[in-house]
Amino acid sequence: MKIIESPELDAFRDECRAWLADNVPREKRPPEGPAMRDFDLAWQKRQYEGGWAGVSWPKDYGGRGLSVLEQLVWHEEYARAGAPPSGSMFVALSHAGPTLIVSGSKAQKARHLPTILRGEENWCQGFSEPGAGSDLAALKTRAVIDGDHLVVNGTKIWTSYGHLATWQELLVRTDPDLPRHKGISWVICDMRTPGIDIRPIKAMSGLTHFCQVFYDDVRIPLANVVGEVNGGWRVAMTTLGFERGTGTIAHQIELSNTVDRLIAAARDLPAADGRGRVIDDGAVVADLATLRAEVLALRSLTAASVSRGMREEVPGAEGNIVALWFGELSRRVHAAALDLLGPRGLERGGDHDWPLHYLEAYKWAIGGGTSEIRRNAIGERVLGLPKGPSAR
Amino acid sequence: MIVDLHPTEDQRMIEESVRAFLADRLPVERLREPAHQGGAAEAAAWAELTALGLFGLGLDEARGGLGLGLAEEALVARALGLHLVSPSVVAQMIAPHLAPDDALRAALVAGETRAAFANRIGEAGGHLIDGAGASHAVLLAGGVALIGIDALGSPEPVDAIDETVRIARMLAAFPAAPRDAASDRALLLLAAYLTGIAQATRDMAVAYAITREQFGQPIGAFQAIKHMAADMATRAAAAEAQCFHAAVTFGRGLDDGIEAAAAALLAETAALANAGANIQIHGGMGFTAECDAHLYLKRAHLLASLAGGRRLHQRRLLGTAS
Repeated sequence: MKIIESPELDAFRDECRAWLADNVPREKRPPEGPAMRDFDLAWQKRQYEGGWAGVSWPKDYGGRGLSVLEQLVWHEEYARAGAPPSGSMFVALSHAGPTLIVSGSKAQKARHLPTILRGEENWCQGFSEPGAGSDLAALKTRAVIDGDHLVVNGTKIWTSYGHLATWQELLVRTDPDLPRHKGISWVICDMRTPGIDIRPIKAMSGLTHFCQVFYDDVRIPLANVVGEVNGGWRVAMTTLGFERGTGTIAHQIELSNTVDRLIAAARDLPAADGRGRVIDDGAVVADLATLRAEVLALRSLTAASVSRGMREEVPGAEGNIVALWFGELSRRVHAAALDLLGPRGLERGGDHDWPLHYLEAYKWAIGGGTSEIRRNAIGERVLGLPKGPSAR
Repeated sequence: MIVDLHPTEDQRMIEESVRAFLADRLPVERLREPAHQGGAAEAAAWAELTALGLFGLGLDEARGGLGLGLAEEALVARALGLHLVSPSVVAQMIAPHLAPDDALRAALVAGETRAAFANRIGEAGGHLIDGAGASHAVLLAGGVALIGIDALGSPEPVDAIDETVRIARMLAAFPAAPRDAASDRALLLLAAYLTGIAQATRDMAVAYAITREQFGQPIGAFQAIKHMAADMATRAAAAEAQCFHAAVTFGRGLDDGIEAAAAALLAETAALANAGANIQIHGGMGFTAECDAHLYLKRAHLLASLAGGRRLHQRRLLGTAS
């Protein structure tokens, strides 16, 4: 445990800060739809031209190849500069790209990695199904080999930006007779292929970011299988994620800013009974102070996670602890906002749409592993408790 | 500021040597025996505790210490919490930092002069904790001060929630002291001790959940228990991360008061919640005095009180504390 002092990292921080100050888009990011996608691609293109595309990707594949500590600095400066989220580029940069780097063929890498980095094409993820959510290995979308193609039938759900993406990383069942983890293949699917029907799903926040995708005799070249046919589970699970705990820094800083904003509001706003300010209520102090302590702990947990990431080849199950803490805290912070702000906090729009942020915050304890699945993983894989039926 | 929270090789060795010594000489089971309570077992091991270098760990070498930092002291304090070591050992770690002169400091580092915690209770005196053999008190009164124990008047023994420490009620009144860097250092060590309790109760609950069987399987296979254990692990991890982050960055430009208050608040919450959950997971046995689970709960309440309590930490976190 120590403070890392490094003139090289300080100089690197200056470099990040200077570039971001000159290049972060000034215009507001559109909240959804093709305009948002075009914005995300344009921002990716600008990062590419500045030499900042794929910061965590190895240099051999066109990335910047930053060390874990350099990534940490980059993400901190990125958040402080108010740079936009990767949004509809997220799957390409943080999942599909890294998977191709680890498991893709030479031709697949050559075809796809440059277009991702240059912001020319984005990706979505086709993993979950209506009957295969937390239990992903129950997936049923069927792919049958027909000559040099796979013919896909079935449906995928919770496909973020499915209606805005060019490509999809798609998990399909290529052999229903094999044990359930063994008959799955990881396929590159062109979202423009005939037979694909995309139905956007509106979330409770009002935003339309994800979709259900239907496949009706969709023909995908066998050459698009990544790794072996029936070897897709391993491909999906061995995506190392080059980020090593640094990927959530922007969310952590944003949540900390939200708590600061709430504390400032409680100091400013008159109490409901007209006497004094909201913050004069001891119960309000208790709530806000606890949230401030918890966001500080989130920062500290992130530092602990990055410290592990500097030393581990494969991220361990401890990552679930930070994710669980963040997911639950995020929801509580935004619930506290509605509680403290009173009726005015229920108004939509405005310069900070609190209900939007509150409703969206529910996703952090559901998407990418529910809090309950994370508790199972912590119990079984961190603490060594006996495995239940959900264990993989 | 980039903080590496992975222990260095030296830090790992210090922590392991202290933990190994405590597991051997001061296991928690000792507290079942009244003769070993109230700091008696620690007094019997005093020479070895001194030889481990505990009492000058974070003190500059020029001032007779080992020249290590608050992070190393916090690692030791966590180990002390893990084994419910008498709070007086923590007081003895803090005292040399507060000594007004070289002679007293040297005597405290050498363990020849002994200190114990005294906790101010409003305007009406306070508690002396495990004060047998001590000539000095580390007085927690908002701020922290080292005073001669004679100034406390004549302490009267009282029974309190944690019967494994000896508490005396003092009638002399003490002024509140201002909070400063020294009191935040002390606060972080108390917080680290509390994270030790959070860790020990997590591990005790997990060990029991793996061996105890009901309905034909270990109770830890049930999600109701598994999820409680996962929450215990998460609370402990958050409190530890905050505690050590605050210790490593202490005096380096972050707001030490807020960082320490956050550590203390989360450590109190984790220790009390985990001690409670450990009792719950042990069921009927957990409710008995024959199971050690109650010892952690009672000590957690005592340490939370020494640290000032959650209301104080909360007011400090928002800058509304006086």
